[in-house]
Amino acid sequence: MNWFLFSSPSTFYRLAGSLAPWFFVLAAALAAAGLYIGFAVAPVDAVQGEVYRVIFLHVPAAWMSMFLYFVLAGWGAASLVFNTRLSAMMARAIAPTGAVFTFIALWSGAFWGKPTWGTYWVWDARMTSELVLLFLYFGFIALANAFEDPRRGDRAAALLGIIGLVNLPIIYFSVQWWNTLHQGSSVSFKGTTMHVAMFRGMMLMALACWMYAIGASLVRVRSIILEREARTRWVRELRGRPGVGAAEGSRA
Amino acid sequence: MSHDYYIWMSYGAAAIVVAVEVIALRIGRARALRRIEEERDLETQD
Repeated sequence: MNWFLFSSPSTFYRLAGSLAPWFFVLAAALAAAGLYIGFAVAPVDAVQGEVYRVIFLHVPAAWMSMFLYFVLAGWGAASLVFNTRLSAMMARAIAPTGAVFTFIALWSGAFWGKPTWGTYWVWDARMTSELVLLFLYFGFIALANAFEDPRRGDRAAALLGIIGLVNLPIIYFSVQWWNTLHQGSSVSFKGTTMHVAMFRGMMLMALACWMYAIGASLVRVRSIILEREARTRWVRELRGRPGVGAAEGSRA
Repeated sequence: MSHDYYIWMSYGAAAIVVAVEVIALRIGRARALRRIEEERDLETQD
């Protein structure tokens, strides 16, 4: 299979359009299952009581915030190395969703912290580095849109994305490197210290977040492709089709 | 002490943020399609 075929915006536009709805359906189904297990099956935590159930949102959102930044930087690097148009568009498409997950991780963390730590916020290494990640997402979006020539914006933002990668190990290892208020990881590649129902609920929610992020990024990249390629022949052919404004528009 | 407030604030805010993102996606899509229409109108005028 020739994967470079999909690096063509016209090919990827159609592929993304047919895949995105399925990712949203999967996200909804997985979120429903995850929330059911998280709220109806998983037992109450012996120490924290009911409030620990924020974990089913907080941890998947935090994982996605870091993972999406890694993917964003990867697309940015690909755009610089291979000079492919689609790579930069993908990086742009991922950034807002990454920022959304980072915000959710910080917000839900604050509302978990208040009843358990007694405070919404402290300048703890984990929380501060996660806040830096949010600013990196904002910086990426601002820089990408700061230039009249979008290709220049792509390059500048890609560079920022790659430099910002240094923050990911800081977030991940902050609880080991510094004496932080934030607890250490309950899940690793070796296993988990969590109750099996809690773990299943959390993993289902993580998968739901993953599916949603892919779906949202695909929808957004389609809009970016259309705007960028508005004057190309394939878009002219696309808009020449009857119903492109109505049927295609309602698909978003 | 009830922790409902903290749970609702977490999940409620997340639902609102996701809803805002979905609306923003629809607006972005509509804007892109409008751009195409504008290009078509310009070509028709030419």
